Amino acid sequence: MTAPALSRRNVADRGTSPVAARRGWRKDLTGWAFAAPFVILFGVFLALPIVAALVLSFTSFGLRDLSNPIGASFVGIDNYSRLLGDAKFWKALGNTVYFVVVGVPLTLAIGLLIASALNRGITRFRTAFRVGYYLPVITSIVAIAVVWRFLLNPDVGLVNVLLRSVGINGPSWLADKNLAMPSIIAMAVWRNLGFAMVVFIAGLQAIPAILYEAASIDGAGRWQAFRNVTLPMLRPTILFMLVITTIGYLQLFEEPFVMTAGGPLDATLSVTMYMYQQGFTFFHQGYASAIAYVLFVIVAVIAFLQFRFLRSDD
Amino acid sequence: MQSVSRAARILAATIMSMALVGCGTNTGASGAVAGPSGGPGSSSAAGASDGGAAVSSAPLTGTITVWAMGNEGTKLATLADAFTKANPGVKVNVTPVDWGQAVTKLQTAIAGGTTPDVSQMGTDMMGQFGANGMFDAAPADIDSSAFFQSAWNTNMVDGTIVGVPWYVETRLLYYRTDIAAKAGITAAPATWDDLKAMAKAMQSKGGAKYGISLGTKNWQEYLPFLWSNGGDVVDGSGNPVLNSPQAVEALTFYNSFFQEGLTPKSVPEGFDITPAFVKGDNPMFFSGPWHLGLIKAAGGASFDGKWAIAPMPKKVTATSFVGGSNMVVFKASKNKEAAWAFVKFLSEPTTQALWYKTVTDLPAVQSAWTDPAVAADPNVKMFGDQLKDTKAQPVSATWSELSAALNDTLEKMTVGGISPQAAADQMQQSAMTIGTK
Repeated sequence: MTAPALSRRNVADRGTSPVAARRGWRKDLTGWAFAAPFVILFGVFLALPIVAALVLSFTSFGLRDLSNPIGASFVGIDNYSRLLGDAKFWKALGNTVYFVVVGVPLTLAIGLLIASALNRGITRFRTAFRVGYYLPVITSIVAIAVVWRFLLNPDVGLVNVLLRSVGINGPSWLADKNLAMPSIIAMAVWRNLGFAMVVFIAGLQAIPAILYEAASIDGAGRWQAFRNVTLPMLRPTILFMLVITTIGYLQLFEEPFVMTAGGPLDATLSVTMYMYQQGFTFFHQGYASAIAYVLFVIVAVIAFLQFRFLRSDD
Repeated sequence: MQSVSRAARILAATIMSMALVGCGTNTGASGAVAGPSGGPGSSSAAGASDGGAAVSSAPLTGTITVWAMGNEGTKLATLADAFTKANPGVKVNVTPVDWGQAVTKLQTAIAGGTTPDVSQMGTDMMGQFGANGMFDAAPADIDSSAFFQSAWNTNMVDGTIVGVPWYVETRLLYYRTDIAAKAGITAAPATWDDLKAMAKAMQSKGGAKYGISLGTKNWQEYLPFLWSNGGDVVDGSGNPVLNSPQAVEALTFYNSFFQEGLTPKSVPEGFDITPAFVKGDNPMFFSGPWHLGLIKAAGGASFDGKWAIAPMPKKVTATSFVGGSNMVVFKASKNKEAAWAFVKFLSEPTTQALWYKTVTDLPAVQSAWTDPAVAADPNVKMFGDQLKDTKAQPVSATWSELSAALNDTLEKMTVGGISPQAAADQMQQSAMTIGTK
């Protein structure tokens, strides 16, 4: 029944007779019916909470307002001004920025390196390598974090056992306030470079071989070909990965949540973890919503700037 | 890492980590369940005189839903069956709830108006949920003196008794007798000075890597030292006194174990004390009754006789921490009569003894401790003796936040190196900001 309705689209659009109007209405309805599953899911699980969180961020909503949400008191921008003076929030923001600034370039650089190697150099076991690098991406992050916690255990973890076998007394990776974040960055880079690799391989394969031929005729070496052909041609892909990875890394949560609980001494506390703690441990849901919106603005601004400055000139 | 799936990732992480920490009480992970501080003189049951309807003698009917957490949740059906045998008219539906999800499930139920009739409530959750007026006042005819005083006090929310202790737990000292003997010590440490000397001797002469294991950021381990030194979290009128001279002295003592290298400053997240104790790395630690079974399981038969438990070492007093769970009836319950009858049934001495046999939860009712099943094990009896000198944290809606702040500050002292005086002042400051009532 839907197929004829769609095929009469043009007739219905222009028709003014009652029959045509009814058909137009029916056509709309069909369209909406098809879109409904998405629209409903989007509305209920995304749009509504997003709006609700914005409203919440201007209230002192807490546990005692649960049974009577309308009774939550409106506090204006109090939550936001309190955030400005909240040392723990700034600490969490600093940690998150540290994670992004070190983690994103590492992920992209190593991902691109591996992609280039697999695309041109290594031909044997290429598929096995691709699968191997991509496997962590599709594995549950929590499972990975738990395994890494064991690997990094100072006494019985594989890392320190290996170090000990060559005579080095390995540190307490996750319990040392200077090493905890680098350890988490190492894990995140290892886990996410597979995704970067796959996207970069796709981008590399879209570069016409003729450009490399032309470059080599002009006497360009490997490095020059990479600099002057690969990088400019990959620019849109790199931009895409930069934005996606930055947004993802700004929301750092599971890794410290499972591996360090934000410690030691808040060295791995991320903004999202602090938000979670305020919202679901202390039930300051108004305050947590304000944190969420501050993070949202930061993400939006950074994404905008990245697009602005890195968009190809043409 | 794709941003689309962020919500799903957070959810998955939450659920998973809840599964990881879910067995809180039984693994001895920090932050499991706790009990009341019962500030001086706050214990009278008279406040409950406006309690709910007394349970009548007419046969009870209807259905009640009971939520219970963790191990208790999976075994409670045993008691429910016994209750139904005595009250054939009542159907008891037991819903097991994972500890990690308990708070979220309760929140959801409150928001949606679908609270159960009866629920188990960790003693540290009483303030948070009770302060919302969600719980029904307990019937006045429940005898408060039947219970351990400190456990009973955790049910006092805003001057009203709103629950009944179900089971309790407290912390004792576990120590390696063989390592102590090697270090020339044959008696359990009776005082703080003994404890310190023993830790030092075990490390220097006993061959242990450390002398003891203390939490770098665990208020449940610090508070017994505070209480034993005559200090407290709040004074008689509920105002914080976390930077009293007693508190500074207790913090100094606690901190000295870290600064003298007797306990590790860096402890990996998820550190398990049991294998470290069996191996002999950490020959002493404080924990609850669940470790009796864990050590037996980890050490095997050959480990018997190499370890023992001892009461809290004494300073001014020898006060330990009391935790456990209470049973509450929700105000919204449609069948309060049957609900309270069930709660009362759970607190009968015979039911309490039966429950000990079922899940080895320590009875909250003192007379249940004379039951042969409970009294037979000398180790368990030692927990019973310690329970007479215990305290719990204040019953306060803000406790989850304040306790997190205390943990933060403890870590700043034990690991970060700020002075005990500064730590005490920070704790006091946190308590003033966050509130203790």
